[in-house]
Amino acid sequence: MSKKLLVLAVCVVLILTTVLAGCTSKQSNTIKVGWIGSLTGDQAVWGQSELNTIKMLFDEINNNGGVLGKKLEVIGYDTKGDATEAVNAVKRLVSQDKVVAIIGPNSSGSAIAISSILEQYKVPDIATVATNPKVTVVDGKVKPYNFRVCFIDPYQGAVAAGYAYEVLKFKKAAILYDVTDEYSQGLTEFFEKSFKAMGGEIVAKEGFKAGDVDFRAQLSKIKAANPDVIFLPYFYKEVALTAKQAKDLGIKATLMGGDGWPSDVLLQMAGDAINGGYFINHVSYDDPVVQDYKNKYYQKYGKWPELNGYLAYDAVMVLVDAIKRAGSADSEKIKEALETTNLQGITGKIMISKDTHNPEGKEAVVIKIVDGKYVFQQKYAPKQQ
Amino acid sequence: MNEFLQQLINGLSIGSVYALMAVGYSLVYSIMNFSNFAHGGVIMFGAYFGYFFLKSLGLPFYMALLLAGGLAAILAVIVEKIAYSPLRRRNAPFLYYIISAMGASIFMENIVVATIGPTFLTYPNVISVEPIKLGNLSIGRLDLMMFIISAVSLILLVYIIDYTKVGKAIQATAYNMKASALMGINTDLIIIIVFALGGALAGIAGVLFGMKYTVYPQIGNITLKSFIAAVFGGLGSLPGAVIGSVLLGLIETLVSGYFSSQYRDLISFALLIFILIVRPVGLMGKVVEDKA
Repeated sequence: MSKKLLVLAVCVVLILTTVLAGCTSKQSNTIKVGWIGSLTGDQAVWGQSELNTIKMLFDEINNNGGVLGKKLEVIGYDTKGDATEAVNAVKRLVSQDKVVAIIGPNSSGSAIAISSILEQYKVPDIATVATNPKVTVVDGKVKPYNFRVCFIDPYQGAVAAGYAYEVLKFKKAAILYDVTDEYSQGLTEFFEKSFKAMGGEIVAKEGFKAGDVDFRAQLSKIKAANPDVIFLPYFYKEVALTAKQAKDLGIKATLMGGDGWPSDVLLQMAGDAINGGYFINHVSYDDPVVQDYKNKYYQKYGKWPELNGYLAYDAVMVLVDAIKRAGSADSEKIKEALETTNLQGITGKIMISKDTHNPEGKEAVVIKIVDGKYVFQQKYAPKQQ
Repeated sequence: MNEFLQQLINGLSIGSVYALMAVGYSLVYSIMNFSNFAHGGVIMFGAYFGYFFLKSLGLPFYMALLLAGGLAAILAVIVEKIAYSPLRRRNAPFLYYIISAMGASIFMENIVVATIGPTFLTYPNVISVEPIKLGNLSIGRLDLMMFIISAVSLILLVYIIDYTKVGKAIQATAYNMKASALMGINTDLIIIIVFALGGALAGIAGVLFGMKYTVYPQIGNITLKSFIAAVFGGLGSLPGAVIGSVLLGLIETLVSGYFSSQYRDLISFALLIFILIVRPVGLMGKVVEDKA
């Protein structure tokens, strides 16, 4: 008896799922765009800023008639900053939600992990702040469906090294980095290479593991090596803790970092310990071209966008431009259009190279932290390595 | 030499953080014979309690510390009532306790993520952040305070256990729960007291940890290290937990300072495993029959 009931129940469920699935995939007057990134965890501040930006822009575009007469819709999933979660989210986006393209993620680890799924389903992805070279190019071969709107780690590491050596005239550098993080390793590698190539000396190179909160052992060792500058290529939370502990230990060297730094949380947490530090960024918040976006975001969400928001903005611009030029919301055509992108974004000129899928020749911005404020120093491009 | 002394100070201060957390583990273990992994969750809540008392209510530090300790004690008892008490009544195998503890720990972490949010919070500065300078050495005031609070809490705990009637009852229960119950000791009450004591320590540890390193839902993960320290020192032995923690802190710092920071955990834990092979009950662990 109960077996029959069970069979019946299973049948009902199966019928319902097919009917419902059929319903959802048949809405052809919207273009579905996926987004993945961290909405929980250490990097949640950034993910939320990205998703908010995309929602805001899509609303704006839809109110002005949409793209190709269709409305844009974003479907966002949380990756928790984890590569496995990112892969699952992408699978869900392409197979269930049938998105035409994906924006995000911000972390390189996740962006690298999703490549095979993108290739399998032939859906293009535009990463926001995933700066590791391997996101778009592996072994000299470009990955067909991975794109990005940010510059890459070698470039960032080289900018930091060049600025430290040539502009700030530092000769001895120490590095503290997260040995478990690909981003941190990438920056470290290229900082070290460039700094040495110019004639500088790396006097200490210390590591820690993600999740560590105490760096005093490493910092004491670095202090003994007496560097002019300490390069900290990791994220704001650890940077804030490092800065505080370095100050406690009486370290006077200048602190320097990459685009993992900028966040209001950094200033709030580190206080005056981070004063005088320099970091490399994708955009200056004082730049006139970003003011419009910045203010609109503030009006809508009651807080300022994080760096990721600015790049999510450009990712949306690049995607919309590609859809328009492709004349269709077909994933394959969007992918082809993306390869010939050439537009002026708010974070700089985005001319995507067909061979690398990176925006080539984008200038980096050097920012100094002075009395709890970000002060734009200069736009800087290192000499060709 | 200077660097070495500084590294010693660093190691002691990291060790004292582990110690505060490890004592709670050991206390519960000595009575219940299982590792209370929910301890990390209680520590995390302690950190959040302290944050809200200091930041939102603006209470003075000692009040916030005591209140957070008190609330964490209540929380620990609630965890005991919900997650362990039903198992005990059914005489469930100890593996079930550990599973239940892990469940409670994950539940607590996620309830904070869902309600308060996943981002980390910074404590206001309640004590001066300027370190005390001794020549070239620097000792953080917070580190010193943590060291003192850890020591005071521990001495109080040892006093309660060795010199009070409740303490005697706890020791008897640890020795043999059934026999103690037959002798008229209310073992259910003793278990509640033990969880409350462990919880209070967890609350204090949470506040101090939060002040030093910020508050976030995954604080509980760091207690994994203090658990290891407790095992290393001899689970069930309170002095063992402290000594194990301080040693782990020292070993970690010295390994990163003098060998390689990249291999810190590799070398420290290889050393721990070696010590446990030589002495399976841990440094201070007594023979299983008369653990207290």
